[in-house]
Amino acid sequence: MTATVQPARKRLRRRPAFGRFVFLGFYLLFVLAPLYWVLITSIKPSNDYLAVPPVWFPSEPTFIHYTVSLFAYRGLKGLTNSLIISLSATVLSALLGTFMAYSLARFNTGGKHLSFWVLSQRFLPPVAIILPVFLIYRNAGLHDTHVGLIIAYTVFTLPVSVWMMYAYFRQLPRSMEDAALVDGCTRWQAFWRVAMPLAAPGIVAAAVFAFIACWTEFFFALVLTSRDAFTLPTVFRAFIGFQGALYGEASALAIVSLAPSIALGILVQRHLVRGLTMGAVRG
Amino acid sequence: MANVAITRKIPVTGAAPKLSVFSEWADRRFKWLLVAPAVVLILALSIYPLIFSLVVSFINYDFQIPGHAYVGWKNFRQVVFDPVARSSIVLTAFFAAANVIIEFLLGLVLALAMVKHFRGRGVVMSILIVPLFISPVIVGQAWALLLQRPFGPTNYILSQLLGTDVKISWLTESPWLYFAIITADVWQWTPFMFVILLAGLTAIPQNLYEAAELDGVGAWRSFWAITVPHLGPMMLLAVTLRLLDTIKLFDTIFIMTGGGPGTKTYTASYYLYTLGFTQFHLSNATAGSWIFLILTALVVTVLVRRLLKVEQS
Repeated sequence: MTATVQPARKRLRRRPAFGRFVFLGFYLLFVLAPLYWVLITSIKPSNDYLAVPPVWFPSEPTFIHYTVSLFAYRGLKGLTNSLIISLSATVLSALLGTFMAYSLARFNTGGKHLSFWVLSQRFLPPVAIILPVFLIYRNAGLHDTHVGLIIAYTVFTLPVSVWMMYAYFRQLPRSMEDAALVDGCTRWQAFWRVAMPLAAPGIVAAAVFAFIACWTEFFFALVLTSRDAFTLPTVFRAFIGFQGALYGEASALAIVSLAPSIALGILVQRHLVRGLTMGAVRG
Repeated sequence: MANVAITRKIPVTGAAPKLSVFSEWADRRFKWLLVAPAVVLILALSIYPLIFSLVVSFINYDFQIPGHAYVGWKNFRQVVFDPVARSSIVLTAFFAAANVIIEFLLGLVLALAMVKHFRGRGVVMSILIVPLFISPVIVGQAWALLLQRPFGPTNYILSQLLGTDVKISWLTESPWLYFAIITADVWQWTPFMFVILLAGLTAIPQNLYEAAELDGVGAWRSFWAITVPHLGPMMLLAVTLRLLDTIKLFDTIFIMTGGGPGTKTYTASYYLYTLGFTQFHLSNATAGSWIFLILTALVVTVLVRRLLKVEQS
């Protein structure tokens, strides 16, 4: 290399780096702006709502919107319902999904057809089945019950759980289970006592993704619940159009709802690629 | 093996352990018993409703008209000739195309910007993926708060930047409300593209770039010659998955515009929802959802076939 080439290359390298950080900076601003505005609105006194220029940080922050949205607008009930329903559906989905995934991965049950049939459920538009499900639920007395929504959410999250765990089991060596079988375990014992503990990290990740999916779901909850089993996202219907300007209440409830799922999501971000692609990409 | 507890001890004689009749039956049917619960649930809550809705779409099932008479193709015809249905399909396709293209390009640039390590990359990464974990309803709500007149600061900021008084009703004025809806979707789902594409980028062997650099190949050319071909399958995967989800667009519409003004922001899902649950034309809605399902299935089949072909090669 001659001396004249070196500075030229250096310049080439530095310019993209600078552009990179400018772009990232703007994008971060874009991501954080709505979150900041919601957070600020949730603690802003109503007098500051329509101030020009806008109040970027309230001088007298208040927590009144949190209490109003949780108690007067039944946010607390939605919160508990969301917790009960999401947790139950998550456990069911992770458990049944792991069962099925193990069978698919170890015994190739049903060949390719069964696994792809499960995957295809993931792409079914909810609106295509919601009407008959609504009618069936009404006749079966499942409409507006916790059990009804738990079943719906279990089915709705199963394809992802199955495929995430399917990919996980396929990369786990089967020698341990074989050894257990030779030692006299039944197939169930080899699965439950050997394979399951080995797959625990994968199961936890799949469960967290199922939980986030249930926690943030809106459409099924909107149709299948009304006064009793309604979940947190459906409470936001009360704030549509903002009659009476419920900006603070809407924002406070948004913060209450998004905090836990963001925390969980960041906790499992190592598994994010697998979760988003249903195990197709290992990441 | 040491940390795995196996309770069943090998009998000293070495003979096969004796199992109860039930255990033996369960052991033989084991693989089917494991898939059974999941399969039964999916059949009950997805396949049975589909069949049920097929029946409903050929009979009269309307809360406003009594009786359940067979009506043939009438329900389908009513949907096909409904101008709102047609415009909702067109709008769904438009939103899908706009969302996927913008999210793909932004996601790709983000992935390229994030692929090399720098100080604070972990924190930036965590912030970038945050929108994926928020309910679409809240995303719509947040953007409504940001854009809404007179509450949101958007018009104020634009006025300051442009030096003129901007008075846009972002959620009711065409074409601005389309921008609003697309922005909310892009905000939420660009990280989806980004995360998948980043995984693809990291998997490209670094020595290819080093070799190209030694040969004096510029950054732009090595992008087209190395990055694009290697990233191809990942791009297709990301676009396919995103496309299949964005045609279901409903939540942000519901919260931001309510389909309005008029029926201007009706997507296919929103149209079918109002048909079934606010007008109670249940059989029209089921007929419409079958049409939508078939259209979706066509897209799915074409795209997933392409995807599998790429994966095998």
